[in-house]
Amino acid sequence: MLSCSINTLKGLYDISGVEVGQHFYWQIGGFQVHGQVLITSWVVIAILLGSATIAVRNPQTIPTGSQNFFEYVLEFIRDVSKTQIGEEYGPWVPFIGTMFLFIFVSNWSGALLPWKIIQLPHGELAAPTNDINTTVALALLTSVAYFYAGLTKKGLSYFGKYIQPTPILLPINILEDFTKPLSLSFRLFGNILADELVVVVLVSLVPSVVPIPVMFLGLFTSGIQALIFATLAAAYIGESMEGHH
Amino acid sequence: MASSKAPITSTPIIPSTPRIKFLPKIALPRIPKPQQLLSLPHSSLKSISVILAATSFSLSQAPPSLAEEFEKAALFDFNLTLPIIVVEFLFLMFALDKIYYSPLGKFMDERDAAIREKLSSVKDTSQEVKQLEDQAAAVMRAARAEISAALNKMKKETQLEVEQKLAEGRKKVEAELQEALANLEKQKEDTIKALDSQIATLSEEIVKKVLPVS
Repeated sequence: MLSCSINTLKGLYDISGVEVGQHFYWQIGGFQVHGQVLITSWVVIAILLGSATIAVRNPQTIPTGSQNFFEYVLEFIRDVSKTQIGEEYGPWVPFIGTMFLFIFVSNWSGALLPWKIIQLPHGELAAPTNDINTTVALALLTSVAYFYAGLTKKGLSYFGKYIQPTPILLPINILEDFTKPLSLSFRLFGNILADELVVVVLVSLVPSVVPIPVMFLGLFTSGIQALIFATLAAAYIGESMEGHH
Repeated sequence: MASSKAPITSTPIIPSTPRIKFLPKIALPRIPKPQQLLSLPHSSLKSISVILAATSFSLSQAPPSLAEEFEKAALFDFNLTLPIIVVEFLFLMFALDKIYYSPLGKFMDERDAAIREKLSSVKDTSQEVKQLEDQAAAVMRAARAEISAALNKMKKETQLEVEQKLAEGRKKVEAELQEALANLEKQKEDTIKALDSQIATLSEEIVKKVLPVS
């Protein structure tokens, strides 16, 4: 009785092919690392650096093709930063831009590139942002960034913002410093992982054409998530840099 | 005193069935009727042993991946990956800044500035052009005025000349005319004189012819 239930579980596990929580572990020093996340993140970095290098050489006064596209992306990023941060947005463009581009290319690479071709001994390759380590890393970087922004602009009087507008809100303001990275990381993680799971389950259950709308939805939402992450990061930076009320 | 009492042995009396490995020592109390109750513990022991055998057998047969899943419940698995991603992101940020944001951004800003400068300079040069046009028009006007003045002057001069010549000519003509008139008068007088003499003779003849000759 016990053995036959275990057999059905095993059978279901085999046909579902979902490997949530399965990681390709590497050992570095005394620590474990998720190898699949590192591999896919290296591919994303290679794509970004490679395409940027090719597009930006020999800039023409009247841009065409890829130079035009990259100029559009840069203007878009500058616009987002300027809207959220204000006039001193210049130094923050690389941070916000890299945040946006890394998350966007990661998400779309997970959805579009045929990772399943490469078989790992354990776990599978997918978007690097489907791992909690990546999203928390990005969220912590954002936290550090807005603290850095506030401290370099206002010095130690930055900490006066905790008692604005009234000292009664002090615990809430402190709590905000924890909820901001938490919400950023979980929003991205949940969206990307859940979308991947939905697509995989649908593909395994239903014939081939039906999951396509879900895949398009996944492309759309993952793009939006990248934009949201970058916009919120810029908003937090702008908020800590803004002047006194 | 003490030696007379035999020690009460509390060692369990285990029935003579063969000992089963998994089972811990089960302390069975001294059974007054061992014969009867031997069968019951024997069967319960056997069922317990069967169940334990089944579970251990199935556990050993469990697929190794499921067993590993139980080991690494891995959705919220934080490890060295986190700082490695931080380092990778910072590297990407600086590399992209050097390759893409700074060069292309500078290029775009320079192009914007050049276009704006050209636009503003075009506005300035349009004013310059207007000025030049005005100057040109003024010069044209001056030139035309000069020309017309010179023309007028020349006209006047030539007119004077012409009038002079006309006057001279007129004088000449008048002089000739007077001469001719004087001549004509003279001729007239001459003819009249001549005619006068003829008239006298003619009139005598006529009188002669007309009046009867007496």
